Amino acid sequence: MKDTKTEFRFFTVPEWKKEEEYLRQRHKSGWKFVRVTFPGMYHFEKCEPEDVIYQLDYNQEGLAHKEEYVQMFRDCGWEYLQDFVGYSYFKKSALEMNGEEEIFCDDASRLDMMKRVIKGRMLPLLIMFFLVILPNIYIQSRIDSPINHVLTCVFIGLLVAYLTLFGWIGYHYWKYRNSLLH
Amino acid sequence: MDAHIKKVYVPMTETGFYILLCLREESHGYGIVQKVDELTKGEIRISPGTMYGSLSKMEKDGLIQFVREEEKRKIYRITVLGNQVLDLEMKRIERLYHTMVEVR
Repeated sequence: MKDTKTEFRFFTVPEWKKEEEYLRQRHKSGWKFVRVTFPGMYHFEKCEPEDVIYQLDYNQEGLAHKEEYVQMFRDCGWEYLQDFVGYSYFKKSALEMNGEEEIFCDDASRLDMMKRVIKGRMLPLLIMFFLVILPNIYIQSRIDSPINHVLTCVFIGLLVAYLTLFGWIGYHYWKYRNSLLH
Repeated sequence: MDAHIKKVYVPMTETGFYILLCLREESHGYGIVQKVDELTKGEIRISPGTMYGSLSKMEKDGLIQFVREEEKRKIYRITVLGNQVLDLEMKRIERLYHTMVEVR
């Protein structure tokens, strides 16, 4: 019998809670998370079923000062697993916890993390949006040749994709913020 | 104290308050976690993500300062500004407490 497996999963930028739950459920059913690789391949190893809590942090400052960042989590009993597209992965067995534990203990810091994610991920997108996509729609649509018509369509397509993405992330942010406030 | 600091830190979160309270003596993040656990008899356990985020934010805002590093742990201490903020918070909580006792 095979004792490793790989699953492809795609979690969009604001869905780290879903991802944490996914890893926890896999471990509960006897598949220990080993690592995730681009573009979203989750590698698992067969193990004894156990309730292990997985947590994701997004902290660029932590990544820049990795040693002391990881040390603080280790001191608190969290095992550091890896980084993936800006997120750091931690786990801790539920048996080692007194009650429920998370890597954030208040809503202010949960919201701060959400803000770090948005800042880290949205800023590059916004720069692309305003410096590449918008100017190109204007430039390409002013030139009357077939290739430029195609390019206009391409950039309008990108515009729609970006607006959808912004809307999606904004909606998640709003939903998450509300869930914390109430 | 500028308006930004006042807006962000007064009133402050319970976590923030305990961090400043503990950093009147030099300590690293985990040291604060342990101290708070002891002070509140296990009632408040600060998580590492919250602690790391709070310490970097407070250092950036000048409420605490980095002193030295010991075995991969950064040691901090409260600054003059941090003490002013803590003082404001203590007075606010004192007032809150006295009012509560009076009307109870």
